[in-house]
Amino acid sequence: MDHASEFTSIHMDAIREVSNIGTGNAATALSKLLGRMVDMDVPVAELVPIYEVAAHYGLPETPVCAVLVRTEGEFSCSLIFMIDEENADVLADLVIPMDVSGMDEETKLQIRNSALSEQGNIIIGAFLNALSQITGWVMPNTTPAVARDMLGSIMDLVASMFGVIGDSAMLVKTSLHVKDLDYELGGTVIMIPDPGALEALLSKLGVL
Amino acid sequence: MTQPVHVGMAEMVVSRHPATLITLGLGSCIGLVIFDQISRTAGMVHIMLPDSRDVKNNPKPGKFADTAVPLLLDELQRLGANKSQLRAKMAGGAQMFSIPGKDSAIFSVGNRNVEATLKHLSAEGVKLVASDTGGSKGRSVEFSTETMKFIVKTLGSGIKEL
Repeated sequence: MDHASEFTSIHMDAIREVSNIGTGNAATALSKLLGRMVDMDVPVAELVPIYEVAAHYGLPETPVCAVLVRTEGEFSCSLIFMIDEENADVLADLVIPMDVSGMDEETKLQIRNSALSEQGNIIIGAFLNALSQITGWVMPNTTPAVARDMLGSIMDLVASMFGVIGDSAMLVKTSLHVKDLDYELGGTVIMIPDPGALEALLSKLGVL
Repeated sequence: MTQPVHVGMAEMVVSRHPATLITLGLGSCIGLVIFDQISRTAGMVHIMLPDSRDVKNNPKPGKFADTAVPLLLDELQRLGANKSQLRAKMAGGAQMFSIPGKDSAIFSVGNRNVEATLKHLSAEGVKLVASDTGGSKGRSVEFSTETMKFIVKTLGSGIKEL
């Protein structure tokens, strides 16, 4: 199914609503983990040509940190939690119970990546839990993988994953914001369904 | 230096000298340049996937290795390049994420892109003279017809000139 031609506003609403519940759960999980208020934006679901996916999220050479988790089974998809690299380190340090600033770069990176992969895992796990409760599907998730790279390079892969199915990507953009900090700290959850998975989800929700 | 031309995802740009072609933030995709030093023509394509045979319609031939390579050669010859003089340089095909114990086709798309591009270059008899592929890091690339050099930038580990 070519997304662009066959998704209607009812489908988009359903996907947005599911994402809303998923992100709400993720915000609660992150809030508990950090012991701080976490706000979320109302999710936006959009069909974007895959060739414009990178531009949709920002400048291609911005350094970002991305955590990827997959679920495979009745509903197979990849989920990415993405955050600017600078913010990623602040987020990581919130849960690291020691001062890492004096450590050598390699050790510091490893400790922070470990913290981020766990934070990403909790955020995405909460998102999947909500989806699982709505659908009744079991959604086992893989261990998280972390990448620090250019936004464009991460989105290059995302576009390719959607590109297997067609020429448009169903992008659900939802941002989380950690409160009570000196500045805004926020990340984005991106859901990339495997071929056929979005149709299965819509069908389960009774709108397809 | 001339104003650089951005080659977006699945796009192809061919040009006579002088031209600077760039692609920012390649991940699993391939930045492939084919050039002819005598006629001073060059083209860059941003290949996303290895094989177009699984899709019904393919409005963007630059998207797939099997359609991108022959089209790039045609376009260059139309600009006056001599096929026997054509040489190729490529970069990209990284595996951005790896999940322990998971060898999913989704994550190895970079590798498959590299293999497919090599296969089609070789089938067309175009010699690959330089490449920087694989690994786990994204790349930005720049090619200038002035120098016929391919500049590859990787976050954190600097600049390579191929």
